[in-house]
Amino acid sequence: MTQTTLSEFQRAEDSSRMRSPWLQIVRRIVKNKFALVGILVIFLIVFVALFANVLAPYGYDAQNLDAKEQPPSSAHWLGTDALGRDMLSRLIFGARSAVFVVLLVTTVNLVLGVPLGAIAGYYGGWVDALIMRIVEILFAFPGLLFVFMIAATVKPVILGWARANGLADLARSGYLDYAVVIIALGFVGWGGLARFVRDQVMAVKVRDFVLGAFAVGVPTWKVIYRHILPNALAPIIVLLSAGMGFIALSEGYLSYLGIGLQPPNPSWGNMMAENAGRYWRTFPQSIWLVWVPALILTSIVLAFAFLGDALNEALNPEISD
Amino acid sequence: MATLLEVKGLKTEFHTQDGIVHAVNGVSFTVDEGETLGLVGESGCGKSVSMLSVMRLIPMPPGKIASGEVLFQGRDLLKVDDEEIRSVRGNKIAMVFQDPMTSLNPVLTIGTQIGEALELHLGMTKEQARKRSVDLLKMVGIPEAENRLDDYPHQFSGGMRQRVMIAMALSCSPQLLIADEPTTALDVTIQAQITDIVKRLKRELGMAIIWITHDLGVIAGLADRINVMYAGFIIESASNKELFANPLHPYTLGLLGSIPRLDEAHKAKLTPIEGLPPDLIEMPKGCPFYDRCHYRTEKCGTANPALELGNVRHWVACWNWQSVQKQHAAAKSS
Repeated sequence: MTQTTLSEFQRAEDSSRMRSPWLQIVRRIVKNKFALVGILVIFLIVFVALFANVLAPYGYDAQNLDAKEQPPSSAHWLGTDALGRDMLSRLIFGARSAVFVVLLVTTVNLVLGVPLGAIAGYYGGWVDALIMRIVEILFAFPGLLFVFMIAATVKPVILGWARANGLADLARSGYLDYAVVIIALGFVGWGGLARFVRDQVMAVKVRDFVLGAFAVGVPTWKVIYRHILPNALAPIIVLLSAGMGFIALSEGYLSYLGIGLQPPNPSWGNMMAENAGRYWRTFPQSIWLVWVPALILTSIVLAFAFLGDALNEALNPEISD
Repeated sequence: MATLLEVKGLKTEFHTQDGIVHAVNGVSFTVDEGETLGLVGESGCGKSVSMLSVMRLIPMPPGKIASGEVLFQGRDLLKVDDEEIRSVRGNKIAMVFQDPMTSLNPVLTIGTQIGEALELHLGMTKEQARKRSVDLLKMVGIPEAENRLDDYPHQFSGGMRQRVMIAMALSCSPQLLIADEPTTALDVTIQAQITDIVKRLKRELGMAIIWITHDLGVIAGLADRINVMYAGFIIESASNKELFANPLHPYTLGLLGSIPRLDEAHKAKLTPIEGLPPDLIEMPKGCPFYDRCHYRTEKCGTANPALELGNVRHWVACWNWQSVQKQHAAAKSS
């Protein structure tokens, strides 16, 4: 009896020794069914985006005016649009646009939001006041209005600059649309992250181990990034994950409204916009052209929401109980 | 012995919305190489603030070191640039804090945290720092040191964490260790273990120690000299033996009267010190202990006494220390 208790005790000891915090987090996420579905969807989209040129049967801008507005067939699984472009191929390349925009906008948000928020939270005083006033200006505009404004203002500036510098081809190509979308979403989106990081840093910086780090002679910048920020990492990850869905959706909005990615650039948003105009005339095959991109976009937003929730529970277990 | 640290007229204040809090009011003392100095006083008397001022770790604002000099090996630490003070912190002067449960970073492994000072000050590589960290953990008596480097603080008990803190503090072989109530948050048995470890390491490594505490019982077995602080002043300073045998300040007497003793013949009643320390925002003109003092005279309310020599290497800041000494001696013999 004593023997078994002892060995059980030993095993419990060993398993607690083995458990790194990250492994525990992964284990908690895997237990969540919704999170698994979310991760699966995200992986699928990223996979399709990476291998779009292999997976897509046609080019995203390949027109075939002899096969316009066709219903689904063996040649065109999801039919064709008004210019005879293969819908499936456009959707597949649309994933590439979405992933590209989400990754770059998130990077811009991170690069601006985390350092500015950390500086504001750590130093306080007028530095904090200045940065937070800028953030409040961003927040003062309702929803995506500011994004639309920036996108609409920035676009002619960028196109003008490209033409003036002998880059007329580039201006015509539509690649600059990506820059417009990324600038607009990137420069508006960092505010929430900055404010969040600031609050986290303010809460962590007064803890004893921060003073301890200074007492060891660690320089201020290193105390911030090595001792303070890692303690705020969990909620930052949650926020980023939830934000990615919103960025994908925002790119959809912008492109739907015609100030984001323009056709022939493949964007789920502009596909919906193009085909919605002909919805009743081309009914019922327009169902494919409008609802499939809409459903994909919805599932991405949901996938990131599920993942965000699961991360939140996995990283802050005391809250979820 | 050569002087290691000399603090002269140190004044630290905090600028708050309610006014200026005078936390440390012109404190002067020295620490010799290899000496253990006890710094005793109740909460808020400026013990920790004066030590944080020495390390220049007072948050500014709201804190401000208003005046004074902190001469460490002849250099005024209050005047050197940021880089230089960083090269002193954790390297020449190290600190152990009160609460081991909160003083370690919860998201970094023990190995990372011990290694940080080694990489920073001694220019060690990660592997070298790891090796040295194992030795340090063994030195403070942590079993299976190799296996525990990759553990996180929550996997250690309070006493073990304080050992880790001591290992961290001693990693660069500092000349001065400032221990800010390192045993206050621990059980009595663990307290004894930690003080034993520090005593042993001091014998082995020979660093000077400033041990901050509110517990005269802890300091009695440790210190060479004891400074008693009250309301931001040092009010009595003597060797360990002298202070316990011949206390001259009414406050020190009060402190001694409020600790239980095992060697007392009859069960003496503990006598608490009535009242509260003065408001540090509006400091009294006279002696800060005036309101609570049984020996006060008219003079005490009007002028604050400076430290004066009361016995051999025994300083006291009290106008009436001679009569205090007489009355105390009479009470003792009766």
